Formats: sequence, structure tokens, C-alpha cells
Amino acid sequence: MTMKTTLSIVAAGVALLLAAPVLLSQGLLNAAVQMLIAALFASAYNVLCGQAGMLSFGHAAYFGVGAFATVHAMNAVGGAGLLPTPLLPLVGAGLGLVFGGVAGWFATKRTGTYFAMITLAIAELVHSLAPHLKGLFGGEAGVSSMRMPAWGFDFGSTTQVYYLVLGWTLLCVGLLYLYTRTPLGRLTCGLRENSQRLRFLGYDVHGLGVAVFAISAMFSGVAGALQVLSNESANYVVFDPALSASVILNCFIGGVSVFLGPALGAALMTFFGYAMSDLTRSWLLYQGILFVLVMLFMPAGLAGLPGTLGRLRRRFGLARLLPLVLLSVGAASLLSLGGTFAVELLQRVFSQDYRAAVQMNPGVAWPDVTLLSRAWSPGSPATWAVPAALFAVGLALVWFARRLHRALEEGESAPPSVASASASATVVNVPVTRSLA
Amino acid sequence: MTEPVLRIRGLRKSFGPTEIMRGVDLDLVNAERHALIGPNGAGKSTLFHLLSGHLAPSAGEIVFDGRSIGGRTPQAINRLGLARSFQITNVFPKLSVFENIRLAVMRVHGLQYSFWKFIDNDRVIRRETERLLELVRLTARAATLAGEMAYSEQRSLEIAMTLASDPRLILLDEPMAGMATEETHYTAQLIREVTKGRTLMIVEHDMDVVFSLSDRISVLVYGQVIATGTPDEIRNDARVKEAYLGEEAHA
Repeated sequence: MTMKTTLSIVAAGVALLLAAPVLLSQGLLNAAVQMLIAALFASAYNVLCGQAGMLSFGHAAYFGVGAFATVHAMNAVGGAGLLPTPLLPLVGAGLGLVFGGVAGWFATKRTGTYFAMITLAIAELVHSLAPHLKGLFGGEAGVSSMRMPAWGFDFGSTTQVYYLVLGWTLLCVGLLYLYTRTPLGRLTCGLRENSQRLRFLGYDVHGLGVAVFAISAMFSGVAGALQVLSNESANYVVFDPALSASVILNCFIGGVSVFLGPALGAALMTFFGYAMSDLTRSWLLYQGILFVLVMLFMPAGLAGLPGTLGRLRRRFGLARLLPLVLLSVGAASLLSLGGTFAVELLQRVFSQDYRAAVQMNPGVAWPDVTLLSRAWSPGSPATWAVPAALFAVGLALVWFARRLHRALEEGESAPPSVASASASATVVNVPVTRSLA
Repeated sequence: MTEPVLRIRGLRKSFGPTEIMRGVDLDLVNAERHALIGPNGAGKSTLFHLLSGHLAPSAGEIVFDGRSIGGRTPQAINRLGLARSFQITNVFPKLSVFENIRLAVMRVHGLQYSFWKFIDNDRVIRRETERLLELVRLTARAATLAGEMAYSEQRSLEIAMTLASDPRLILLDEPMAGMATEETHYTAQLIREVTKGRTLMIVEHDMDVVFSLSDRISVLVYGQVIATGTPDEIRNDARVKEAYLGEEAHA
């Protein structure tokens, strides 16, 4: 993609975000606020995970520290607030930076699995300590606060909160992008690629690691602060490991190697979580399945999809690629339909409601369950034939798609003119052979 | 003889009960090309690791440029002007060639924690990076990912990165390993050109390269230097023949 197309896509995205309060209902606007916060948190996390290659398992800690710092700043000075409301995320950023610097100093002493374990331990430490420090974290009830009017805004409506969160998210994501163009940002990638080589180039690798960790924690703190501004309260559940896990899943589903990948992944997953939580109780299961599928079949994440498609289009041309794309989309839809149908049926059959229904109708062995406003009998094979048929047709489409793909590959390898294209598509691994004198 | 650039005295290194370096004495004079040869397991790579700070010596002293460097960290040693390459290619595989060299150049200009300026706008860094690219003849490959280049090109890249810190002493660990004859000649010529005016210490198994490239050769056998001298002296040294070249002839 050229610089110009990228810029116009980003500009269109920003315009859409600015217009959102006009386009969306109150409920959806609230969801959009959560999506923005999740997107910022994922972008901050990805500095560490995707760019520096350090997998932290405890990033909820820095999000939570930012959140609690902000809620206390809001309540400071007799409830007037330490700073005007729009500037409060600075407090989250500051505390995130300091706490991230201290935690990062310990964590980046080690790499790989040991690094991950230290981050996990630090997060668990905070998580288990928080309920006991009632003065600081407010116990079960948490700490609540009020957004104070500032600069002519009362921050009473969702729209004003949305614009406040949007402003901070755009600013921070923008800064994080600019960060990748700085010397420190480039060294962050060097850290991921080969930290040993950096050491022998004369860099202080531990210092670098601490700096990157602290920067990531600082922006995570801003995300936590924005959540507090949106909720007007903070509870120690923000330290829950589930938050640390979801930011990892969001990043990888979105794609850690593309700058906006994690933000898109987080926004998408948050939206699904919002939309699905009303429709199904199995959302977490779907989230997990989606993550496994993305990791298995699209290791580059959803953001890697346009790149892959573009490469295939250059190789085969749109006309020959279209059937393959349609087949794949068809297969994916049928398989997911079959999958969700089966999961939803099973979920209903194993639910408490169903057990109650069985007791209420002792005459019927398998009372009907309602799905898609229709009654289905769990005892009848016809019911299970629906997901089975969807699966069978989906798998058949997969088989056809694979055949078509193979045919395209074989048709392509014949003429010599395309050798350069295939060389650029596949990473050439140079075998390291050593001859001994 | 003038004051040596590098003076090694009684250097020992053991891993548990296993002694790898058993008292090495060696001097490197300014601007010489010094080859280190010896059979497998003689401790050549270990010696490089000790000199570059990868390992800390068990005993003995290493004096570089008048300062004792034994046991210092790799980055401290690098900043004193000693740079090394690795036996196994050690670059940043998923970054471009340009980026690889630029990371090496940035360090010399003290850009470690800079987050307030854009690296693309730094003309000094860019010019220096381009100069090094040209020096190792990789200008055409600037945008290629380092990991996708041919092996010999990756070795050239390593040499450029090693040179970036403008070191007084360069350690090259088997720069020609795994190369075809042509590539070997090319790389030997490259090394000759780019290390002019610097002190070079090289470990290499290719005897043609060793004897044509070096001013002096040291022979390391079982953790001790058994001989040091000009290529001719080494060729005619009875102990060397017995311990090393003799074995080679039968191999």
C-alpha cells in the first residue's frame, strides 16, 4: 500500500470517528467509548509485545494503576480534581510510567518465558493486594468520583465523554506511531529481532527494555484513566488477569506486526463482546475459538489479511482469485454457522433452565429448546442434522478451495516470468552450512 | 615493538572442572592483521567471547588500549573500540539491510534513548549508513530484509555493522565459513580493504585465506598458544606441523 492510500484510509477513519455521535445511538456510542479505550490499551501493549517482542502477561496492572491514579486525582482537592477533567489522563500516564519503570526494571532483567513469568507475578501481586488495601482501592465497592465541568464543558453527556476519549485515543495512538519513527522506536524492533546483537553493538539492552516497558505502561495508564473518566469509578476488578489476557488476544487477533492491527482487533472484539453478550452466553468460548483459529490459519492476524489478498491478487489477477475468495468466504460462513448453531443448542441443553424445564414436564424426555425464534427438539436427529449439514457443506467448500488454490499454484509455477513474484512472497531461508578446513 | 593494542597474559577460563583456556599469552600490535588458527575445540571462539565480554575470564588479564577489559560487559567493551562479528550470522533478520546498519551507526552517535526526533531526518546518520553500505557493496540491497539475502551478503552486512562503531580492534569469527571459493575471495578482499588502518584478529579455517591475509598467525591448541609468527614461520614450525597442519593433511 502506498503512503497516499494509507493516509486517505486513516483520514476517512478519523472522519468517521468524529461523526460517530451523529450516526450512533446512545448505547452504541457507549460501546464506541469502550472500543476506543480497548484500542488504545492494545496499541500501548503492542509496543512491548509486537514491536519489542516481549510477551507481558500482566498488563492489567498498568491499566489499573492508571485508573486508580486518575480516580484519586479526580477526588483530590475536596472533589475539585487535581487537574481540569480533560487533563486528568496525564495523571494516569505519569503513574503508569513510574510503576512501569519500576516493574520493568525487574521484568526486563530476564527475557522470554522468565520475563513473562515476572510480569505475571507482578500483576498477581497487585491483584491479590488490591482487595486488602481498602483505603487505596476502595474494597468491594471501589472508588467512585464525578467528572467536574471544565473549559466550558460539563462532561455530562455521552457525546462529550466520547469526544474526550476520542481526543486522547487519537493523540496517544498518533504519538505511538511517531514513536516508531524515532531512534528509540527503531531500537525497539532491534530488541525483538536480536537483543544479543544490540548488546555487541554497544547498546545497554536492559536500559532499552526498561524504557520500552515504561512507555508501554504509560500509555496503558492513559487507557485506564480514560476508562475511569468514562465510568466515574474504579474497582479492583481492573487488576483481574482476564484483562491482561484479553489485551493479548486482541493484539494477536488484530495482528501484532501491523501498527494499527492491535487497535482494530481490540475495537472489533470489544464490539462483538458488546453485541454478543445480549445474544449469547457463550461469547468467551467464541472469543477463544476465534483466537485459536486466527493463530492456526492467519498467524499475521486480521490486519495481515489485506496484505495476503493483495499479494495473491498480484500473482494470480483478480479474475482468477475471485472464485477462490468467494469459496473461502462461503466455507468460513457455513462452518461458523454450523459451529455457532451446535454451540448454542448444546449451551441450551446443558443450561439450568433446561434442567428446570425437564423437571416441569416429566412426560417429555427431551423438551424443545428455542433458537432463532423456532422450537427444536434435542432428541430428534433432524435437529442435529442442521449443524451437521452446514459443517459438511462448509468442509466440502474448503476442499474445493484448497484444490483451486493448488491448481492456481501449479498453473503459476510453469512460466518462468513469475519466479521473482514467488520469491518475494516466500521468505527464503538461507541454510547455515559450515565447511571445516 | 610499540605498545601492543591488545595484551593478553595468563588468560584462563574453565567451565566447572573443564579448563578451556589454559593460560594464553598473546600480543596484538597496531594495525596488524592477526589470524588465530587451531584445531576444533582449541578454544578460539571462547577466546573471542572472553575478549568481547560475552564470558568473564577465570584468571589472567586482558589489556586493550591500556585498559583492563577482562570481565567487563559487552557494551562497555564495544564502546572502548573493540567490535566483533559472530561465527553464526548475527544480524536483525526481519529488518532491512539499511536498518541493520543504521542501528549500528546510531549507537556511535549516542542515540539510544532519543524519542524526540525522527531518525529519517537525521542526515549524519543517513550519510554514514550509506557510506558503510557502499563500502561493503550492499547499496543495491538496502531495502532487502537482511534474513532474505544470500549468506555471503549477510556476512558482508555483519562486517559493515562491525565497522560502524569505528573500532580500533575488530574480531572476525570465521567470516568465510560456509562460503563458496568465489565468495571467499571476494570477502577476503573486502576484509583487506575495510580493515585498513585497524587492528584485525580473525579466526578462520580456510588456510589459503589465513596465509594470504594475515601479517602474523597464532596457533591455539588445547587452550594455549603454541606458536606466534609470520605466515612463513608458522608454515615451517615443527610443533605447528605436528599439532595442527599435520592433522589437517590427514583429514
